[in-house]
Amino acid sequence: MSNRQEFFTSRWGMILAVIGIAVGTGNIWRFPRIVAQNDGGSFLIPWVIFLFIWSIPLIITEIAIGKKTRKGTIGAISEIAGNRFGWMGAFVGFVATAIMFYYAVVAGWCIRYLYTSFTGSIVTTADHVALWDSFTAGYQPLVFHAMAMLIGVYIIYLGVVNGIERWNRILVPALLVMLLMLAVRAVTLDGAMEGIVYLFTPNLERLFDYRIWLQALTQNAWDTGAGWGLILTYAIYLRKREDIALNAAVTGLSNNSVSLLAAIIVFATIFGIAGAAGVEELEIGTGSTNIGMAFIFLPQLFTQMPGSPIVQSFFSSIFFLSLSVAAISSLISMIELAVRIFIDMGLQRRTAIALVGSLGFLFGIPSALSLTVFYNQDWVWGVALMISGGFISFSVIKYGVDRFRREIVNGEGSDVYIGKWYNFVIALLIPLQVTVLIVWWLYSSTQWDPDGWWNPFGAETLGTCLFQWGIILAIFIAFNKAIVGRTLKHTTQKK
Amino acid sequence: MESATLFTMLFTLGIIWGGCAFVIILAMRRERSKKAHEP
Repeated sequence: MSNRQEFFTSRWGMILAVIGIAVGTGNIWRFPRIVAQNDGGSFLIPWVIFLFIWSIPLIITEIAIGKKTRKGTIGAISEIAGNRFGWMGAFVGFVATAIMFYYAVVAGWCIRYLYTSFTGSIVTTADHVALWDSFTAGYQPLVFHAMAMLIGVYIIYLGVVNGIERWNRILVPALLVMLLMLAVRAVTLDGAMEGIVYLFTPNLERLFDYRIWLQALTQNAWDTGAGWGLILTYAIYLRKREDIALNAAVTGLSNNSVSLLAAIIVFATIFGIAGAAGVEELEIGTGSTNIGMAFIFLPQLFTQMPGSPIVQSFFSSIFFLSLSVAAISSLISMIELAVRIFIDMGLQRRTAIALVGSLGFLFGIPSALSLTVFYNQDWVWGVALMISGGFISFSVIKYGVDRFRREIVNGEGSDVYIGKWYNFVIALLIPLQVTVLIVWWLYSSTQWDPDGWWNPFGAETLGTCLFQWGIILAIFIAFNKAIVGRTLKHTTQKK
Repeated sequence: MESATLFTMLFTLGIIWGGCAFVIILAMRRERSKKAHEP
């Protein structure tokens, strides 16, 4: 296996791969829950608006940077913003890699529950809380975490065309078909229509509540994969003839289409089985967290679905297969991002994959064995993603936003012309959104724990964010010259 | 169904699903045209 540059063989192969990044567990288990907690239709309107002023512009930017530089995050940001800012690329890459460590654990949970559904034991279980607790208290999460990492590493080992492209050509359409099957079952339940009406009914008084707008922006920041550096990495393998802006629009709109489909499935199922009282579970009950909704609340609903236990197991299996597929297709992009950074530093692809696979397993162990560690990592690096988005936008500002738009976004292969609105969004709106989001989330964390918000070892505190970000940033800034030098030495030689 | 609900449904589905269908069709047309002009 050499480091020979591969390219996606077609436009649709590339689009499906990028949709594979964007569509993850966040679309299926976070979006419906956040909609329920933010008054349904009131949330949807800002959520649609932020797709166009956060997700799509950042996806355009990432594709453009990857296609122009043909380097991973460190080399790419060094080339666009200047070598002094290579540490920003290292931070973007590290955040996505740190998320990979615990995201492989999530993928493992999905695989475990797929197995439980497939064997039928999920519908014979009386107490789903106890089932979840006994699963997470033992060693099993570690086994399934290893399994998820092995699957991801295997796909990446096959290469860009035979691995990433070919597998996403199977996984993404399969995910859509499975979600459509679940949607057909859900909307044909008695009372399902009430759920759909609930989903789209706005509370006009809350439409102008700033918290709903911030939650809508957060959802776009977390579930489209924009600003993570993952799309930038896949864009390295884009042929010169390929378009940027239209492909970005297809990706962003497809991602949010899947989120809407997932919300229709969840709300129709809840109202069809549990009635309006079920929504309270999403707002304040066991379903009010991502884990509670996916692994406790929805399995409970599947056991009450009309039909025999075989039918119930079937739909539960389809649901967890969808979650597993969504998780794996996103996980492989995180592995590829880290692999690409090491390849840029001169490692052979095979060595880089072995290294990332081993590190991914080892650093995922704490999250696999402790939910407290898992929540901590999810909090710290989830918020850090917004900094990543800010760094990507900063790089383009340093390069010159208008020059970037004219030379790269509207450059060779462009199918649609991107006007000056892009300059305004990247230079002003994205930095503004990043600042507001970070301040709001960090301030909110001080309200969750007014006495211990400063604690660097707290699970979800302001202190732990500043502590962990500070360490990583200090290391990357201190070693900027060495990191950038090593990356550019090898990537320049390759060119 | 209330008019506000209907509006939100049409607004959301129209822009997200309608927009998605539109850009996919546009991408297919541009791709076909690109291939036709390629040597």
